[in-house]
Amino acid sequence: MQQLLEGEKELIIEKVGEILGKHGSDRENLIPILQEVQDSLGYLPGLSMEIIAEAMDIPSVDVFGLTTFYNQFRLNPPGKHQIKICMGTACYMVGGRIALESFERHLKIGEGETTSDRKYSLETVACVGCCAIAPVVVVNEDIEGKVTPTRVDGLMLAFEADEQEEEQKEAEENEEKGD
Amino acid sequence: MGQASTELYEKIKAAATEKITALKQKPVVLVGMATCGKAAGAEKVREAFKKEIESHGLEAQVIDVGCMGHCYAEPLAIIAKPGHTPLCYGYVDEELAKRLVIDFLVNDDPCYEFAMVALETNDVFPTFSDFPRGVYEQKMILEHCGFIDPEDIDHYIDKDGYAALAKILTLEPEEVLEEVKSANLRGRGGAGFPAGTKWEACRKQKEPVKYVICNGDEGDPGAFMDRSILESNPHQVIEGLIISAYAIGATEGYFYIRAEYPQAIRTIRTALEQAREKGFLGKSILGSDFDFEIKVFQGSGAFVCGEGSALVSSMEGKMGIPRPRPPRLTTSGFRGKPTVVNNVKTFCYVPLIMKNGADWFKSTGTPGSPGTAVFTLVGKITNSGLVEVPMGTTLRQLIYDVGEGIPDEKEFKAVQIGGPSGGCLPESALDVPIDFDSLEEAGAMMGSGGLVVLNEDDCMVGIARYFLEFVQKESCGKCTFCRLGTKHMLEILNDITQGKEKDLASLDLLRELAEDIKAGSLCNLGKTAPNPVLTTLRYFWDEYIVHITEGRCPALMCKDLIVYYIAPELCSKLCNVCVGSCPTEAIYTREDGLKAIDQEKCVKCDNCLKTCPPQYNAVIKLSPPEMLKEKEGGSAK
Amino acid sequence: MSKKITLTIDGREITAPEGEKLLWVALDNDIYIPNLCAVKEIDPPQASCRLCFVEVEGYREPVTACNLAVTEGMVVKTRSPAVDRLVKTAFELLLSDHRLKCSECPKNRSCELQKIAKERRLKLRLTRFRPLVKDLPIDDSPDTFAFDPTRCVLCGRCVWEDHEVAGVGAIGFSRRGIDRRVTTFGDTSLADSPCIECGFCVEVCPVGALSFKE
Repeated sequence: MQQLLEGEKELIIEKVGEILGKHGSDRENLIPILQEVQDSLGYLPGLSMEIIAEAMDIPSVDVFGLTTFYNQFRLNPPGKHQIKICMGTACYMVGGRIALESFERHLKIGEGETTSDRKYSLETVACVGCCAIAPVVVVNEDIEGKVTPTRVDGLMLAFEADEQEEEQKEAEENEEKGD
Repeated sequence: MGQASTELYEKIKAAATEKITALKQKPVVLVGMATCGKAAGAEKVREAFKKEIESHGLEAQVIDVGCMGHCYAEPLAIIAKPGHTPLCYGYVDEELAKRLVIDFLVNDDPCYEFAMVALETNDVFPTFSDFPRGVYEQKMILEHCGFIDPEDIDHYIDKDGYAALAKILTLEPEEVLEEVKSANLRGRGGAGFPAGTKWEACRKQKEPVKYVICNGDEGDPGAFMDRSILESNPHQVIEGLIISAYAIGATEGYFYIRAEYPQAIRTIRTALEQAREKGFLGKSILGSDFDFEIKVFQGSGAFVCGEGSALVSSMEGKMGIPRPRPPRLTTSGFRGKPTVVNNVKTFCYVPLIMKNGADWFKSTGTPGSPGTAVFTLVGKITNSGLVEVPMGTTLRQLIYDVGEGIPDEKEFKAVQIGGPSGGCLPESALDVPIDFDSLEEAGAMMGSGGLVVLNEDDCMVGIARYFLEFVQKESCGKCTFCRLGTKHMLEILNDITQGKEKDLASLDLLRELAEDIKAGSLCNLGKTAPNPVLTTLRYFWDEYIVHITEGRCPALMCKDLIVYYIAPELCSKLCNVCVGSCPTEAIYTREDGLKAIDQEKCVKCDNCLKTCPPQYNAVIKLSPPEMLKEKEGGSAK
Repeated sequence: MSKKITLTIDGREITAPEGEKLLWVALDNDIYIPNLCAVKEIDPPQASCRLCFVEVEGYREPVTACNLAVTEGMVVKTRSPAVDRLVKTAFELLLSDHRLKCSECPKNRSCELQKIAKERRLKLRLTRFRPLVKDLPIDDSPDTFAFDPTRCVLCGRCVWEDHEVAGVGAIGFSRRGIDRRVTTFGDTSLADSPCIECGFCVEVCPVGALSFKE
């Protein structure tokens, strides 16, 4: 499991405590709690699972079992941009795999991985229900239809442009602060 | 006292109708904003409508609606202007939105050239019933989808929504149960178990606490009708759930919706709140002594949770792992209490049956499978989308008349029906009527209603492999047959599609294993997992043979069995498109100016083939890969 | 005392408490039915190993004995071509995911897989399937025992002992499908887990996955 960064431990304890306080520690609330913790922290740090297990008075290994069972849960921090390739039947038939491979080539990571700079993560999903515009890729929250390798190039260029813009903005802000 | 509910309802209905009538006095623009519409760019279209309407100072409303089922033509918009027939426009972009506002709303030109269909009979423009699709289609549960605002309960009430609830509260629960039983409503989740029988079994239990759960864990890849209904007409599902609870004697209800459907979850949450405000949910519903509450549980991404006992287990905060039956869920389900789990669509029929009677329901469909079937028609089909046809319609009618056949002048090969639990049926099975029993006889399964059309470019071994990979990934891993059996089947199929398997005996092993997994698995996910392989072995045996004996993929789909090749006799010196399209710089210009592919660099992404201009069509796929030597040898001479 | 009923297994008339699961009735009467995951106290039974298939009159297909309650007049056959075929396949599937080399295994001669092979005349090597054994390390961090996940058949008996009998909560199932395995929180070594080395789990392991050190 991931090493925690400085200050992360306190943040986890605070957030998980809040969410536990809201839901109560009934076993039935385990999945909703885990979902909310992941929404809040972006992933489920080991520490968060331990806190929840203790509050619910269940073995922590059971929480670990649950989070490794369901697709939705992530035990490592995700990339800033989450790219999900739909692998539903309709998408698969018309090039879902080709789209996946295009991203893999661009990002030099495989399915289920995150780039080392934590900027991108690549996942596959089983049908997002937009089969009419297959193949489909979900970029962050947006759905992109009819994705070809050329479109993947376009998406990546747009990401890079956004990144640059942001960096520039940051630099400008820092300059202003410096003034 | 029973009468009180209908009186109360009439008041609520009158208020809703007044509101909707007032709304219709002014022009209304409805934009399809279900996930499918949004994906096609509906949000921009909606903003364009709003902006343009505002800039002209018009008093027109823009309302988000769900999905009409014509997903191929998204984004869709309906414009209803007083004094005009409401018209539906397809493929709307920002430009067209602007133009429609100016031409139609400001002036009075409905722009017929862009209209797709009229929603009311008129003298000028055809309606749905004038199209072949309209002849076969008969909308029961999809009737209001795409035409009402799912975020505003008054739209549903105006369409007589919750009238059935008001009515049944004046009846005894047994009477409601009898009506559903007499309608022979079969569960739409796939297996077709009679809902009334299930409800009765649950009702009979002495335990006073009972649960009813709406299964919205639609996991079949290629199926999205449940999502569409939840997003487009949430109240009809809710009403059905409340009625079933009354019939069963349930105290609490749940929506179990998969995490991949965030919009459906939001829509249902909003709808529940509004239903509560109107008094359709909560304590003493519509003044009766019936109390009922509904909660939402968000699934966390496990296909196996579509199985009832796994679903319940996940609601209890555990892994979604099926348990052996008996006991049935109706005896011991959620929290060990009697529980009914039904599919979204099943609940959707309930208000209609209670409103119009069992005989009305049975007048559609076949005696064994009354009512309609809802399908998502996707894949290699002209009109993809959501369709609803009477049970008993043949697959041929569905594909060729409703879906308007296979595009690009390609040849039909098979239809995959029922997702990973279903099977692939060939041309010869197209006259099979669609109903629970006929499909099962043909080796497929109704499943939850995903229908993927495959053409000559689709490899049947590849399709079988795809579904096996899916179930193998989604197997919970508890029982031996499913965990290990599907893995071995996948290994064999991998070898065949990669040209590594040279022994025909592997097909015998594949079949034996498939049969044993079917007989020996613990739950229905495992028991049905081999179906795609068994049906393709049955109907497309030759394709398996060719893969093994010749290392050739006749559909030119299996990546390891094909190579891309640029035919010099077709290629042009004047064109460079493919070179630019190649993501790996595998295409180079030969000395004579024609293009060729460096096979070492080629990743077989298909981009060059797609971009090569139609006047050349010079990029071709060869299988088996050895053909390349022949070709290259030939052209060198 | 619950009501007694009479049933027939392989032609033998047997009296048993009504509602008792068939597997236990058979085993108590010295009629062997292969099984790995059965624990009398687990209710509903796990029914996950899929080895205890039998033929019961009135059922079209073989059924698992572990979750079938006996009833008056029930007629059971422990063997039939259909039963033998399913048991053989299930057994071979389990072997394909099990590190063989019995001679090097601490449970050699006391292993349940060996017992099943002997009883049903099945081979202890792979004939139809390729090996799928995963590359997982042996955890010998506890002082008194070791855990070899490549020999585990996922019967779940150890997890039951750990959770319900010892009340420790050191080990459990994780992941899904072919990756399902028994492990600790975060896949740490047992020494870094809450394990108290009570040894309960080792005692119930039917194969060589959990074994005491010499």
